[in-house]
Amino acid sequence: PERSARVSKVRPPLHQYIRKLLFTDLDKSTIEHVLRQLRKLPWSECEDYLLKCFMKVHKGKYSQVHLIASLTAGLSRYHDEFAVAVVDEVLEEIRLGLELNDYGMQQKRIAHMRFLGELYNYEHIDSSVIFETLYLILVFGHGTPEQDVLDPPEDCFRIRMVITLLQTCGHYFDRGSSKRKLDKFLIYFQRYILSKGSIPLDIEFDLQDLFADLRPNMTRYSSIEEVNAALVELEEHERAVPTDKANSEKHSD
Amino acid sequence: MKDPFDRTKVVLRHLPPTLSQSALTEQIDGRFAGRYKWICFRSGKNSQKHQRYSRAYIDFKRPEDVIEFAEFFDGHIFVNEKGSQFKTIVEYAPSQRVAKSWSKKDGR
Repeated sequence: PERSARVSKVRPPLHQYIRKLLFTDLDKSTIEHVLRQLRKLPWSECEDYLLKCFMKVHKGKYSQVHLIASLTAGLSRYHDEFAVAVVDEVLEEIRLGLELNDYGMQQKRIAHMRFLGELYNYEHIDSSVIFETLYLILVFGHGTPEQDVLDPPEDCFRIRMVITLLQTCGHYFDRGSSKRKLDKFLIYFQRYILSKGSIPLDIEFDLQDLFADLRPNMTRYSSIEEVNAALVELEEHERAVPTDKANSEKHSD
Repeated sequence: MKDPFDRTKVVLRHLPPTLSQSALTEQIDGRFAGRYKWICFRSGKNSQKHQRYSRAYIDFKRPEDVIEFAEFFDGHIFVNEKGSQFKTIVEYAPSQRVAKSWSKKDGR
């Protein structure tokens, strides 16, 4: 049967060049060059396209995600508007992923978690953004009629999202207020994990690695009752500790 | 970390995909003209396969203005040209960062 040939997408040369820089040329040794070339682009014309390409971190190699984060931080000096938009955009992608919970988007969603963590590592966002995202992942859609679609009991993808983010940047939360924030989060995380019932082995192994890396001495609770008791204790302890301590460390992270 | 009560940057989500920036700012300015410092519109996409809502980020001058804005726009229904309804969500933007107003000219 006669068929018309498949029309391949023709991109304008400027877009082709941007894609070549980001998806072909970019590696550890060329990043300075790529950054310089990006700075030379006609920004008013291609800023939106560049943002689109920066969100395609899942198309490249997983081990290269940090290079895109590094470029973002490098560009913020000259194009702060762009660097701010990258953060807003990746947070939106994470949120949208939770709203849709589409199986086909999983790879992309994991890459975006890694990207967010790397943006923290390059000091482009502060820890509050990371913790807000972590808690959002635990609670989004819970207590609503859509809970069974957004986070069904047997679905462990959100655990993967948390693991990915903490594997990327969790080791920096090792002192001061961000250490305490991670300690606390990990107990809430444990409660979430326990609420899932049985966890696939591969995820359980990743969890064991994560806890061994970040908090080797932390208790892994084995029942909801135990973890709830730990949370009650934590909250009482927090109430007892004067808040001025928290304030004085406000700017330390 | 910013005190929750100091937050001034909000995100307006689930706007109609075909909404234009000018149509949105017209609606906002009716009540909030001069009360925000910065607005960034991200237009959506209306294709069969991947529909994407439009969004807007707004940085208000005073935290109190955020409350009034949310009272007005959170849950606000936009109707597109085909009559479909879009229920808007107003939230604090998870990242409160706003671009520095001074723009350094890139000597490249």
